[in-house]
Amino acid sequence: MSLDQSHQEQFTIGTDLSDQAAVLTVRGQLDIIAVPALSALFDMVVAGTFATVIVDVSGLDSITSECLALMAHSAERLAALDRRFVIRSPSARIARLLDVSGLKDLVFGDTFGSNFGGPSPSDSQVLPRPPVKVGSHGQLAKLQMGSEFPSEEDVVDGALRMVVALAQATIAPADGVSVSLRRNGRLATVAATDQTILDMDTYQYATGEGPCLDASIEGRAFQTQSLIDERRWPAFTPSAHALGINAILSSPLRASKQPVGALNIYSRQPSAFASDDQKLASVFAIEASIILTEARVDVSAEDRATRFQSALLVRETIAQAQGVLMGREGISGDDAFTLLRTHSQLTGQPLFERAQEIIASLRRPQRDRGTGTTGDPNG
Amino acid sequence: MGEQGSDTLNQFRQDADLSRSELWLRYFELGGMSTALQLEAILYGALLASPHDHDIIAHALNERFVELGGNHPVPYGEDVHGA
Repeated sequence: MSLDQSHQEQFTIGTDLSDQAAVLTVRGQLDIIAVPALSALFDMVVAGTFATVIVDVSGLDSITSECLALMAHSAERLAALDRRFVIRSPSARIARLLDVSGLKDLVFGDTFGSNFGGPSPSDSQVLPRPPVKVGSHGQLAKLQMGSEFPSEEDVVDGALRMVVALAQATIAPADGVSVSLRRNGRLATVAATDQTILDMDTYQYATGEGPCLDASIEGRAFQTQSLIDERRWPAFTPSAHALGINAILSSPLRASKQPVGALNIYSRQPSAFASDDQKLASVFAIEASIILTEARVDVSAEDRATRFQSALLVRETIAQAQGVLMGREGISGDDAFTLLRTHSQLTGQPLFERAQEIIASLRRPQRDRGTGTTGDPNG
Repeated sequence: MGEQGSDTLNQFRQDADLSRSELWLRYFELGGMSTALQLEAILYGALLASPHDHDIIAHALNERFVELGGNHPVPYGEDVHGA
């Protein structure tokens, strides 16, 4: 069986299904436009009984983080069912992207090995292999970070490292400088002059307090001239002092006026920073903010990937609730949606919340067993 | 329902202060299967939505109106047909 789906000729997905394996051949550009088709197709093959799902990407020109996330998600779902997910014949460029995104670690070994190059028509040549360890959130987190190609973010990070080096060279009392940026909802250090400085930032993220965090959130400068007398950040201060740091100056970074991070200057000298140093720090912070604002495309690409990831979870929850209703009421998927939608219409409760309730209702605590309205799971 | 619905759908989207991409994401969350481009075509009346698809779009918009303190102003298929 075979079917082809084309959308504005940007991509095509061919399917070749046998009892044992599903081969999906994707060509062209896989971006957000391809998501519904790709999502539906993966749902179908996951729902099926194929022992192996092969995605042939030999004709793939480009792929965005949304589609990579979808593939990773499907690979994890299949692995959880002890089934194989294989990516076949990637070009060198796509192979590098799979590598960078962490997806390579999620799929089975043949990906970059013997299947490389030649189109292998048969799915019977598939060898049994032990499943690799999957399900680490780290892989998906890495995927969310990756935009279409890593270069743009790298360029921004490179520019920020330059700002850090210049600030370190120009501000005399500075023993170290770093830049923290909020990415995927969390602060992370994208540039630091040395390991001590990186540790200083990390302690602040770990304790949830410190001048860097306050500047990043409130969008104004925070400084401390003497950590010994500092009272504002009791959890963070001792570890900073233990590393020999005495004064910190954190200036806010903004992208399109929104606070997104901080430029942090650390000194071993108490009362190190004079007012000229503060002015210089704010000049460098403005410089870094300009870089971030101009790279706004990049920031929004990141936001988009995060937003998409959450949309994927909502979609899955609603689909599961539809499935529950279909089983419980003996109705079609569309009718299950209408049921959910009507409830939302009558009560004003968002459909997603209702879907969560329906799924939660399946997980009754032991004590309540038998008091629910659904069938007895112990039958 | 199509012609009448689609002509006003984009107006509803603007009233709901939703970007086209955000509307597509919300539509996708609710299980919508059309691409962002197809949805845009539906909003502008260039493509006719299936009754089910129309209801998903209507509901995505209506939930947004609820967020803004309103009720469900966008008619579903059954409203148009039934009344």
